[in-house]
Amino acid sequence: MEILSLLATGFAQLFTPVNLMVLAAGLVLGMLVAVLPGLTLVMGVVLALPFTYKMGVAPALILLTAMYVSGTYGGAITAILFRIPGEPMDVPLIWDGYEMAKRGEAALALGWSLVAALVGGLVSAVVMVLLAKPVAGIALAFSTPEFFAIVFFGLASVVTLSGSSLANALISLCLGLLIATVGVDEVYGADRFTFGQPFLQDGIEFLLVMVGAYGIGEVLTRMSTGFAAPEGGAGQGTGRFRTAFPSLAQIFALKATFARSTATGIVVGVVPGAGATVSAFVAYGLESQYGKNRAALGSGAPEGIVAAKSAATASVGGALVPLLAMGIPGSGATAIILAAFLLHGIQPGPQVFVANAELVYTVFATVFAAVIGMCILGYFAIRPLCKVLDAPEAIVSAFVVVFCFVGAFAARNNLSDLNVIAAFGVLGFLFERYGFPIAPLVLGTILGPLAETNFMTTMVSFDNDWTVFFTRPISGGILAFAAAGLAWPLAKAVWKRVHDSRRAHARPG
Amino acid sequence: MDDRNPNALRRSLLIAGSTLALAPRLALAQAKYPSRPVDFVVPWGPGGGADQLARRLGSLIEKDLGTSLPILNIAGATGNTGMTKLLSAPPDGHTMAVFIADTLGTLAGGKGRYKLADLAPLGIMIRQPSGFFVKADAKWKTFDELLADAKKGEIKVGITGFGGPDEMHVVKFNEQGAKFRPVPFAKPGERYASVLGGHADVVIEQAGDVRSFLDSKQMRPIVFFADQPQVGYESIALAKQHGVTLAISQFRAIVMRAGTDPKHVATMAAAMDKAAQSAEFKKYLADELAFADSYIPAAKAGPFLAEQLALIDANMPKS
Repeated sequence: MEILSLLATGFAQLFTPVNLMVLAAGLVLGMLVAVLPGLTLVMGVVLALPFTYKMGVAPALILLTAMYVSGTYGGAITAILFRIPGEPMDVPLIWDGYEMAKRGEAALALGWSLVAALVGGLVSAVVMVLLAKPVAGIALAFSTPEFFAIVFFGLASVVTLSGSSLANALISLCLGLLIATVGVDEVYGADRFTFGQPFLQDGIEFLLVMVGAYGIGEVLTRMSTGFAAPEGGAGQGTGRFRTAFPSLAQIFALKATFARSTATGIVVGVVPGAGATVSAFVAYGLESQYGKNRAALGSGAPEGIVAAKSAATASVGGALVPLLAMGIPGSGATAIILAAFLLHGIQPGPQVFVANAELVYTVFATVFAAVIGMCILGYFAIRPLCKVLDAPEAIVSAFVVVFCFVGAFAARNNLSDLNVIAAFGVLGFLFERYGFPIAPLVLGTILGPLAETNFMTTMVSFDNDWTVFFTRPISGGILAFAAAGLAWPLAKAVWKRVHDSRRAHARPG
Repeated sequence: MDDRNPNALRRSLLIAGSTLALAPRLALAQAKYPSRPVDFVVPWGPGGGADQLARRLGSLIEKDLGTSLPILNIAGATGNTGMTKLLSAPPDGHTMAVFIADTLGTLAGGKGRYKLADLAPLGIMIRQPSGFFVKADAKWKTFDELLADAKKGEIKVGITGFGGPDEMHVVKFNEQGAKFRPVPFAKPGERYASVLGGHADVVIEQAGDVRSFLDSKQMRPIVFFADQPQVGYESIALAKQHGVTLAISQFRAIVMRAGTDPKHVATMAAAMDKAAQSAEFKKYLADELAFADSYIPAAKAGPFLAEQLALIDANMPKS
């Protein structure tokens, strides 16, 4: 009951005209920065930070928290409509969302993403309020072996993204992992595949691979077919859809997916350094291995959208837990929110729940209000945005290309990045043409560095004893799940081949 | 419009456009400095210590200079991606950068692609001593107890990365028979969690950076690597009392490209000097638990950097 009355005070703080205006501004800004691929959510929060210097502490936190929440949504729109992931966490949305959009169900795909964000966001907010202190302990239980196990699980989900050929998917994944090794190694500082080129020293940003292979690659593919809209293609986004939202019965049918991925989002969000991107990948991987409709995943199944989006949004509540309860920033955006706290002379940690309870609960209230506000904003954005798809595809594609290049440049202000993104656009085109899936490539470049750093740090920390990955209960458990998920389709494929060849041999004889 | 020869049209437009853009700029450049916004390169991610320093300085000197100082976060390669940006910009005084101890460390042994002489320092703005921090409820009350345990068995120390000043300090104790095992955690959040979660016994940090954990009694310092006691923690041991005199403080300097017109360097250095004397900047130093005499003006900043580099050179751990 004490929590409820505190939360009520938090809402009272929030529902003043000034604070509500700040909340609305934060929601709009967050969505805008998330839409542009190079301007990440973290960057957006950083750019907003100086404006909070002169504000009171409550509006400052409301602004940044609102940006953080709505920043996890904006990229879904571009991912689903144009195959440009605005943020790395939106990559899994492409796999099913864009497929749905191609079928002419763009509005429905966006509707599902909104429902997923709403459910994931609200449930994680409730968990955050009720369990902030006990849940915070999870953050500390995870060390590098556990973190490696989580990322490995995300990588293992590759088997479900294989499309027609598992071999091609593994080749694509390995290429992605290889690209991820380019540059100066993070642990020992050795140059790898840099060929003495200064721009390679810093590695190849996954952003460039992601936006190039998906965004530019798709435009090239469409251009090669002369932009002839296929029957029922993405060209007709709005016309045929009266409702953009799934029915309650449809939503309820996916309750297991919602539960699984929201829980994943919260737990992964709590672990420092993981955040929305890893949550989205892991939830998608879980769905592909244990979901009821796993066979259809990747071909435009709403489960894929729900898994990735509800996990990404749920990670927000998760990441705020260690920040508020212990003062540990779990992600880039929470690090900036921490800075805002410190600038106003307040230090998050166990004592903040006592000393500044009102403020903590204002942040909690903001998360609730921001999740709802973001969904309302998204709802009104869906229709006009789908209208864009009615414009001639050649023109939309030109804007997509500009958007990709501006995004890539905004990330580091580096001109050579533009050549890299173009090169990956061509690679994406070739992949598509010759039946190699792009998803594992992108997965490898995003998760590869995380896997490597955590693996290496574990080896350094435990004197090169690789058994720790299996003997520590949490990491061992997660790895067992990943191994099972990897082995099962492989075994099935091998068995099928053996079976088929036996039959083939049997017939002539 | 002549559709058959779009290149010619484009070229003439480009020439016309650039002439228009350049003409007033050239005239102004001779009249006054800075004649346009000065790019402030932060070779680290947004939100970190270097970034905060740049943004604070920017707001303090913008009015003075009468121009804005847009911050460019260009992270990577221990700060060297951003330094490449600085060194490839023309030396006209319209680009400057934050330069920190870790980046200086990459120049040790002449291994960097550029030399200290390629930089014109405008001032050392902040200096903070590094120290060992343990969890508040750790069993070691004093550094003597920790050191005794480290001689008996392995103690894990969270550091920012191999090859930097953090590792050098640890290696100095290991040369005296301690068994500290440095474990790299590049991200600050992971470094803090490592010691609070018990995955590392000790973490090397600067007091200002872990201030929230100190104030909330989650961590405490156990030894500092400094010649003078840490502000606010005067009773904590100094490494030199335990036979390790090496003390490479974390510093953050502002530099321009060498070869910039000395008049421009002087103008900017004077602006830095004025900012460093302001009450606001002094409060920032105090909040960061930095040395009160952190600031080293441009004239003495060069020798300071050279001396620090020599110190790092001499203590480079053998790999």
